[in-house]
Amino acid sequence: MTAIPVTSVRTPGRLPRPRGLLWAVLRLHRAALVVWGLALLAAASFLFRLAALADEAERGDSACAEPATDGLPSCTAVDAITADETYSTGIAFVTACTAWLIVPVAAWAGGALIGRELENGTAHLAWTQSVTPARWLAAKLAVPAALLTLGTTGLVLLNVWARGADNPNLVGDWYHPDVFVGTGPTAVAHALAGLALGALAGMLLGRALPAAGAALGAALLLYNALDRYREFLWPTVTRDTTGWEAPRSAFQVAADGSELAFHPRSHFWPIQYVESGILLTVAALAVLAAFRILRRRTA
Amino acid sequence: MTDIAIAAQGLGRRFGRRGRRALDRCEFVLPAGRVCALVGPNGAGKSTLLSLAAGLLRPSEGRVTVLGTTPAGARERLAYVAQDKPLHPHLTVAATLRLGRELNPGRWDESVARRIVTDADLDMDAKIRTLSGGQRTQVALALALAKRPELLLLDEPMADLDPLARHRITGLLMADAAEHGTTIVMSSHVVAELEGSCDHLLLLGAGRVRLAGPLDDLLAAHRLVTGPAQDSLDPHTVVESRTTGRQLTALIRPAGPVPASWQTAEPTLEELVLGHLRGPDAPALSLTESEEAAA
Repeated sequence: MTAIPVTSVRTPGRLPRPRGLLWAVLRLHRAALVVWGLALLAAASFLFRLAALADEAERGDSACAEPATDGLPSCTAVDAITADETYSTGIAFVTACTAWLIVPVAAWAGGALIGRELENGTAHLAWTQSVTPARWLAAKLAVPAALLTLGTTGLVLLNVWARGADNPNLVGDWYHPDVFVGTGPTAVAHALAGLALGALAGMLLGRALPAAGAALGAALLLYNALDRYREFLWPTVTRDTTGWEAPRSAFQVAADGSELAFHPRSHFWPIQYVESGILLTVAALAVLAAFRILRRRTA
Repeated sequence: MTDIAIAAQGLGRRFGRRGRRALDRCEFVLPAGRVCALVGPNGAGKSTLLSLAAGLLRPSEGRVTVLGTTPAGARERLAYVAQDKPLHPHLTVAATLRLGRELNPGRWDESVARRIVTDADLDMDAKIRTLSGGQRTQVALALALAKRPELLLLDEPMADLDPLARHRITGLLMADAAEHGTTIVMSSHVVAELEGSCDHLLLLGAGRVRLAGPLDDLLAAHRLVTGPAQDSLDPHTVVESRTTGRQLTALIRPAGPVPASWQTAEPTLEELVLGHLRGPDAPALSLTESEEAAA
């Protein structure tokens, strides 16, 4: 072996330390950073435990016969398995938390990240150091955005892995609102949109509580609007249902006589991309507006 | 280094579309290296003027030039302490100073900050929220002075300091001004606390500049006169006059020799300011360095 592991070269205590605005943002929002870290840790360890239950949960969901015949297990035995319930509630809980991340993120960004700083004048303190208001806002957005993207991506990947065989009886159908948002890139886009909306509310209102409230309202509105119109984000497939029964994986949108309009499972990704695109556009517009307000206010 | 610290041209700022004008067509020039007292009654526009100079507000009309450039361009070279001394309540004193160091790379002088904080007997590990108003002010001043600014803008810096701390901070500011040629602008409505430390005066009233110029010249341009009430004060400009019985006391700007029957004295800073506050209709007076040189 000629290659030396990189870690052995680095002398201890010489790790690059955050400096400047990066340090300031991390230090000022240390509480939020700790909460985010702990939440991720808790979610990850919970998902690992659930994943270990996956096989047993599958057995608890299987078909049964009383008494056991034809290779089917006895229903008493299957009923005795409680893992499936633990597993599906656990997965549903983590998925819902991921999907609804936009709400707390928006409230935090509006209140603690921007609104409070403008309200008690500490933003002015930063702007009269050697930091321009634009760089201040950029750092305030970039650092949480990076940490949110990283954390949420990890959470979604772990969640998808913990869902195992994706049995809809255990983990829900792909088109269930929470499942759809919580198991794809939309989860990250939702969190980022929440951050941007919060920042805009904070810049607009300049006070912590009203900004947190407005951001929370805007996030809920956006989440529910997307939920309501998700089925229109991609053209449906229409099929004659005479002599054909739509499978469970079909996201049924409209039925007209024997014509059924639906999204097959393969539409998961296109809808994810369109929805993420919408959310990222909303986020970009909100960030742009926030910078405009900042520019108009300060010299 | 430019030799003009702040120059305002037609500077105005109004809040809201049809709101009150906090500042209205302000014109003045503050040469560098001066310690300027910014005085005026409540709501005269002192804080607005300082915010504009610090680049925290955008003027509605006119412009303000700071250290030869825009306030934004001078950001690194100016320091500002707002009236309510905003600091992050959840940071310790040490973390607050670290914040200053991180946000002022290449300018920060840790020893200055440490000295102010140690002199104030502050615990470095104390949270800002546990400090008194006066202690917070001193941390805010440490943050401002350790930046080594060329222009220091202080909004009511002494308001919540005890007499001892006030004396110490005044000494510190004067030493900084003498040593580094720092221009200091200090607002206050307590005129007495500025007397003796300032050599330039900017008096605002209702958003307009009432008096501007070197303090000695402004004082020399005024006379506090006492004489019989029936005498006319023409052709002098009367800033303010009061009659008690048969005696008249007035603050005037002499336009020629004052009659020998009148007692005259040069006003103190406080008398000058009070006279102008009591006589809001007196014409504005701006003296500049060149006039001083010509005189």
